Amino acid sequence: MNLDDLSRDLETLAEETASALAGASDVAAVEALELDVLGKKGRLTGVLRGIGALPADDRPKVGAIANRVRATIEAAVAERRTILGSAELDARLRAETIDVTMPGRPIRRGSLHPSIESMAEIARIFAQFGFVTYETPEIETDEYNFQDLNIPQDHPARDLWDTLYVDIPGRLLRTHTSPGQIHVMRTVKPPIRAILPGRCFRYEAIDASHGTEFFQVEGLMIDEGTTLGDLRGLLDEFAHAMFGAGKKTRFRPGYYPFTEPSVAFDVECLVCGGPGCPACGRSGWMTILGAGMVHPVVLRNCGLDPERYQGFAFGMGPERIAMLRHRINDIRLFLENDLRFLGQFR
Amino acid sequence: MRVPLSWLRELVAFDLTPEQLAERLTLLGMEVKGIDRRGTEWANVVVGELLAVEKHPRADRLSLTRVNTGAGEVLEIVCGATNIAVGQRVPVALPGAVLPGNRRIERTEKMGAVSNGMLCSGDELGLTADADGILILAPETPLGAKLADLYGDVVLDVDVKPNRGDALSIVGIAREVAAVAGGAVRLPPTDVVEGGRPAVERLSVAVEDAGLCPRFVGRWIEGVTVGPSPDWVQMRLLAAGIRPISNVVDASNYVMVELGKPIHTFDAGAVARDPRGRAGLQVRLARAGERMETLDHVERALDPETLLIADASGPLGIAGVMGGATSEVSDATRDVIVESAIFDPVSIRRTAFRYALRSEASLRFEKGQEFRLARLGADRATRLVAEWAGGTVAVGAVDTHAQEPAPRRIAFRPARVDRLLGTDLGIDAQREVLRRVGIETEVSSSVTDVAIAAGENPASVAASAGTAVIATVPTWRRDIEVEADLAEEVARVHGYELVPPRRPPTEMPAWRESPLAARDAIREALVGAGLTEAVTYALVSPRMLEAFRWTFEDRPAVGEAAAQGRPVAVTNPLSLDHSLLRQSIVGSLVEVVDTNARHAIVDVAIFEIGRGYGGEPDRSHEWWRLGLALTGAVEIPAWNQPRREVDLDDAKGAIELIARLLGASAPSYSPLTDEPILHPGRSATVEARLPNGDLAIAGVVGELHPRLAEAWELRARRVIVAELSVAGLTGGSLAVVRAAPLPRFQPNERDLTVDVPDSVPAAEVTQHVREAAGAHLQEATLVGTYRGHPLGPDERSLTFRLRFGAADRVLSDAEVDTAIGTISGALADDIGARIRS
Ligand SMILES: [Zn+2]
Repeated sequence: MNLDDLSRDLETLAEETASALAGASDVAAVEALELDVLGKKGRLTGVLRGIGALPADDRPKVGAIANRVRATIEAAVAERRTILGSAELDARLRAETIDVTMPGRPIRRGSLHPSIESMAEIARIFAQFGFVTYETPEIETDEYNFQDLNIPQDHPARDLWDTLYVDIPGRLLRTHTSPGQIHVMRTVKPPIRAILPGRCFRYEAIDASHGTEFFQVEGLMIDEGTTLGDLRGLLDEFAHAMFGAGKKTRFRPGYYPFTEPSVAFDVECLVCGGPGCPACGRSGWMTILGAGMVHPVVLRNCGLDPERYQGFAFGMGPERIAMLRHRINDIRLFLENDLRFLGQFR
Repeated sequence: MRVPLSWLRELVAFDLTPEQLAERLTLLGMEVKGIDRRGTEWANVVVGELLAVEKHPRADRLSLTRVNTGAGEVLEIVCGATNIAVGQRVPVALPGAVLPGNRRIERTEKMGAVSNGMLCSGDELGLTADADGILILAPETPLGAKLADLYGDVVLDVDVKPNRGDALSIVGIAREVAAVAGGAVRLPPTDVVEGGRPAVERLSVAVEDAGLCPRFVGRWIEGVTVGPSPDWVQMRLLAAGIRPISNVVDASNYVMVELGKPIHTFDAGAVARDPRGRAGLQVRLARAGERMETLDHVERALDPETLLIADASGPLGIAGVMGGATSEVSDATRDVIVESAIFDPVSIRRTAFRYALRSEASLRFEKGQEFRLARLGADRATRLVAEWAGGTVAVGAVDTHAQEPAPRRIAFRPARVDRLLGTDLGIDAQREVLRRVGIETEVSSSVTDVAIAAGENPASVAASAGTAVIATVPTWRRDIEVEADLAEEVARVHGYELVPPRRPPTEMPAWRESPLAARDAIREALVGAGLTEAVTYALVSPRMLEAFRWTFEDRPAVGEAAAQGRPVAVTNPLSLDHSLLRQSIVGSLVEVVDTNARHAIVDVAIFEIGRGYGGEPDRSHEWWRLGLALTGAVEIPAWNQPRREVDLDDAKGAIELIARLLGASAPSYSPLTDEPILHPGRSATVEARLPNGDLAIAGVVGELHPRLAEAWELRARRVIVAELSVAGLTGGSLAVVRAAPLPRFQPNERDLTVDVPDSVPAAEVTQHVREAAGAHLQEATLVGTYRGHPLGPDERSLTFRLRFGAADRVLSDAEVDTAIGTISGALADDIGARIRS
């Protein structure tokens, strides 16, 4: 064994390996070949075992050749592995292909009831204006529901609230959330900014715009200098928050025995935007709430001095608000709990 | 209040379109709810003149007419009426006309004669009440004119508020129009041509209680001829929504609409005479046992609180509410008594409700009447009766209280009004505004009492000299009593739209937790878990209340009210279905399940947070509960997930979710075998506690009892329900999460499988595991169950994953082995379980 023989063997190994690599059909064959040639007990090591028989001068030369051959083989193996690897990956990816146009796995989510959500939304808007929320009983006394609100027995204004009475003497089902005003004014000292959502009841036949049971949200603000102008300013802000910035509003006289002056508050028709259409009775306006300055008699009934304190109250129907916002045309839908209706509010 | 504009224009001038007028009135607080155009149904109805009226050769009851409609063409029209004659002007509906009631007029053939249209009665046109003959128009009515141009009208439907009884009249609305249009109101004439013996010699009126009838004005008309009113009167009444009856009755209704004064007329011949030979009217309360037949021909037993108009022989009418049949004005009536009275509003209101006889008249009495109107109304009605029915009006009137009170004088402080309104009007502008609605004012130069509250608990304050204005309020404005009323009047007439809006600059109130906070969090969590929020009626049927009355022992969560008291019933329910306040929520939810099943929606997962109600003799209770109802498939049906029916565990999962949300322990369940609403083998009571031991959740969860499902004919097979008291529903916030430090040492997990008899509940096994495990057991989770070979028929195996760990070191296997050994021994000894390795 001399230097030339050894060099030739090394070159031969390189050539054989190259052709074997070319014949390798997958990564596993390449890796087997790599082990066979470059492994600890591989053929390269086998060839180099003859190095010990060489004169000491030639040994570095063989070493240099061996390193070059090793590098060549390593590069060829890596190259072949890359080529075969990507082909294999391609095959795998092809095999794993699915129909991506199929719909996803549905995640079940329920929906919040539009009455409650409308009420919560109103409370959230007024919370931004510093109003705190209270709740009061639904079974009320005649005093709270009527008399303390300046509606004496046999007063013609009682026609505004057809009442359901219960079999507890002096009790009835509240016809509005306004008795909440009395509860709040008797427990909290001014300044007061209160919002009172809740269920109400009326002796009223059920049709597309009336229900025996419905919700209301009452608002109350009392301080030393709270004015009708403040009421108008606040309601404008509310209308913008609820129906959109820039919506026109209308502030006009209304009637409630517990407010003086009393107010009806309209927002421009959300369907036609003003010129008039069937939805707004051709007036261009939709009434969204009633309000007014708390009557001095009511303030006195709650132990507040009307010469010192003044303020306003307002009341609205969350279903009405929801009907306007969501274009719902029948109030009966709110208590029917037809999931085809409720499911739209997710 | 229906206001025909033709009538309104007679009393006040205005240069506004109906739409403009409607808007002005609405902005003045007289909300116009609708604008009704009368005459739109009279397209193709014109005025014609009868040129010939001949008998139909083949039908006795028909006439052949030839009518000139002014269009140069003569029409042949067949007519069935008998009141027609040559030369008359009549309404002719031409072919193509569509009359009220969608009646189409076409060219037709009647018994061999062609009819090119129809001659119309007043009733067919909706113009008058006369259906018996053709409407004969005045001879000067222009030939060929369109009927709509002659008699068309616009009627405003005005929503008059309960405090403005004075505006339930054309005059009242005219006053409002005058305030915005600037004109003056022309009151209708009330002077009467009188003759013959004075009224006081014909009529006497004895009022028993002047409190109930402060004024009674009676007039007497002799020798009337009762018949139909003039056509224009009938047209006007119909436009105002009142059915014409006869000239005398129409006169009283006319005055009611025009002046707002209800008037009653009696057949004077039917009234018993007093000792001096006069018709003797009495105004008194009914006596025990008295009965009478009212105008609607209903025989009524009279309650002793009923105010009557009577004579010596008995009741003639219910005062202010409805007349009696015996003294009704009829064709045979010769002499008429006109009654124009003021009654106590409360008495009339109660009586009208008692007999369910609320009418246009009683509505006006209830709101209180201007004292002056008694005489004005009597005179106006008398004048109209004489005009339309003839006769001689007796001189003067019988008047029980001829002296009229002076107008009310009410002081107000313009500065206070500005402070209330947030305006800067000042004294002069406010006085000017008030003058537009007839309120005269003068500045008070001395200290003045200003009334700020009226009614049972009146109050006034003293205003220093020069700061108050005294307003003289017209007698018809009974609604203005105190300063705040004048403030509203200033705002109303000045225009609410001119009140400058301002964002309230008030002091901020103290913070308070919203009672909705926890409720909203629970609602959101349940919706995220796939449940839909329902809202059902609080009023339920007796059957529902009984069927879904829980018998388990109610324990409220901390801070929540207990379910207590008897069921509360509505005493005047609209229907039996909504007659009782519910005491539980689940029944309503089961009904929702059924309603949806009817629409083929069978996968239902719903919840409701609502109140239950209970009563005691002198108070009521209300409590919040969460109800759940689940049925059908758990997941939305889809190609990529298998269908799975809901079971008890899904409801429990929702409850466990809420427990986590509240920061409570995992709920524990105990078998509930004797609740009639629920399946005895598939129901449990639930409780979950807060770290301090308070109840966070308490209630029941289970499958609806099959018997109940059958009794309710439920379309759903299995319904899982729950009813729970949950801390925070009434109010309060969720506990703040306290984050625990992460464990520094790896835990040691082991699975332990035990075979136990079915008689031993899993909860008991778990409890034994926990008790025996020692301090290092961090968590024991049930991860699997198995039945079948090699277990006995009444056995199952339970696999627990046990996590052991210590805060200061990694536990050795030996330590864990020891713990497992202890658990195994305890399970074997205490409950006879076999441990598998
Ligand atoms: Zn519109």
